[in-house]
Amino acid sequence: MTAATVATNHVAPPRSFTTAVHHTLRLTQRSVLGRLRQPAALAPSFIFPLFFAALGSASFQRMSKLPDFPASSFLNYTAAGAIVQGVLFAATSSAGDLATDIEQGFFERLLVSPVTRTAIVIGRLGSAMVVAISQVFVFLGIFLAFGARIETGVVGFIGLTVSGALLALAMSGLMSGIAIRSGSPEVVQGSFPMVFALLFLSSSFFPRQYMTGWYKTVASWNPMSHVVEGMQGFMNQPLDVDQFLRAWLIPLGIATISIMFGLRALSNRLAAQ
Amino acid sequence: MNTSLVNDTSRSSVVDGHGGRPLSVSGALVRRTLLRVRRMPAAFVPSIVMPVFQLIAFSGAFGAAVRLAGVKNAMDWYVPLNAVQGASFGAMGVSFGLINDMQTGFFDRLLMAPTKRWALIVGPMAGSIARAALPVALVIVIGFLGGMNVPGGPLAIFYVAVAATGIALVASAFALGLTYRMRNMGAATLTQFAIFFTIFLSTSQVPLSNMAGWLHAVARVNPMTNVLRLARQGLLGDITWNDTWGGLLAIAVMLFVSCWFALSGLKSLEK
Repeated sequence: MTAATVATNHVAPPRSFTTAVHHTLRLTQRSVLGRLRQPAALAPSFIFPLFFAALGSASFQRMSKLPDFPASSFLNYTAAGAIVQGVLFAATSSAGDLATDIEQGFFERLLVSPVTRTAIVIGRLGSAMVVAISQVFVFLGIFLAFGARIETGVVGFIGLTVSGALLALAMSGLMSGIAIRSGSPEVVQGSFPMVFALLFLSSSFFPRQYMTGWYKTVASWNPMSHVVEGMQGFMNQPLDVDQFLRAWLIPLGIATISIMFGLRALSNRLAAQ
Repeated sequence: MNTSLVNDTSRSSVVDGHGGRPLSVSGALVRRTLLRVRRMPAAFVPSIVMPVFQLIAFSGAFGAAVRLAGVKNAMDWYVPLNAVQGASFGAMGVSFGLINDMQTGFFDRLLMAPTKRWALIVGPMAGSIARAALPVALVIVIGFLGGMNVPGGPLAIFYVAVAATGIALVASAFALGLTYRMRNMGAATLTQFAIFFTIFLSTSQVPLSNMAGWLHAVARVNPMTNVLRLARQGLLGDITWNDTWGGLLAIAVMLFVSCWFALSGLKSLEK
């Protein structure tokens, strides 16, 4: 490719919808393959949620005997929290890969190639969704093998899968925006405590009704509590429209804002070059 | 600092005529650890923030579970846990510092220094206690602010400090042993995993009587359960020898094994 071609492509990347979809799928595929080639980076997002779920269900099983406990067993209660935890860890790690691409120059090569600009961001988000869907499958498979039950059956399973994918879209959009703005894997990893706080200051690990004081107030305001409770509804209660509103619409709303943030970050980066 | 350490060592060599006094070498290594903290505060901040955040998160989220088990205030249960965990974070600093010294060649110069080999292990271990002091103190202060009970009096805090110091020493010796063998960043990650799993597979979250199945079986034989019992006793009730000796013995045995692990790792490195 000559310098003239590069310059032309940089100025006018192809804009047809089919091409954009094609580019997005190829970049998603590349990103998924990249994740699979680094099992050490992906493993914590599977191991830690499962470990915490096993620990919680062995430690707090007694709590599930209380009359107002929202699940038949602690294992059933903790399944949704484990999915959310895994998805958040994986989304952070995926954004870290994007920052590494920027740091190592691959991102610049993408920019001078005839790739649709939005595909660069959306492709990365697509891979986070693929990983999230596989996490939901693996986690639910393990939970069901250990005696958990999905009260809402197949619809609940689909509900949990879609919710996990939308949450991955929301979080990876936000984290990708941070990655594009900073171009530094350290900054992305440095924002991990924010994810940690979102997770712990919510009802991901324990029901809100047993919390007290300011902690309960924070958990009630935390959108993550409502997403998790919607997902817990699929696991533990009869099917209800409220579950879809909380588990699907909240992540979808956050995803819309975070994708805009990611694309804006890309646009700013392009304008600065 | 490198120069000052070498100067310290050579001064000692001149004084006693046949090598640097081990304790002065260890002292210089402690000062080096603290200097690293001052020069790279960003690497030290997480070891302060994480125990405090975990204390707040655990006592807020799981408070009901420990209250159900008869604990008056969740802080009584989670302050010792997070003090011990905060102390263990110093081990990661020890591992990172050692890897950095190996990469820059400074560790080779230390190996050539005319001093006892154990001084090279005692120094970083003592440094880990210095690193642990701030997070442990902060966790205790937050505990008091959160209404922590201290029926055991000042001795209760003393035992929290004893347990935290013991685990800081054990974790740092383990980190040294692993780093001498692996000689890369993977040692710090593995150290983190080992400490994490040892602490959480004990009575970290709830008392033994509240646990079910496999966790009860694992926590019963995990020495960390005895260490946490030692640390918690003065916050949950009176201090008794019955709740003390098991923790002290567990620390002593783990310390012996981890020091042997570190020394043998250092010897294997020299070969």
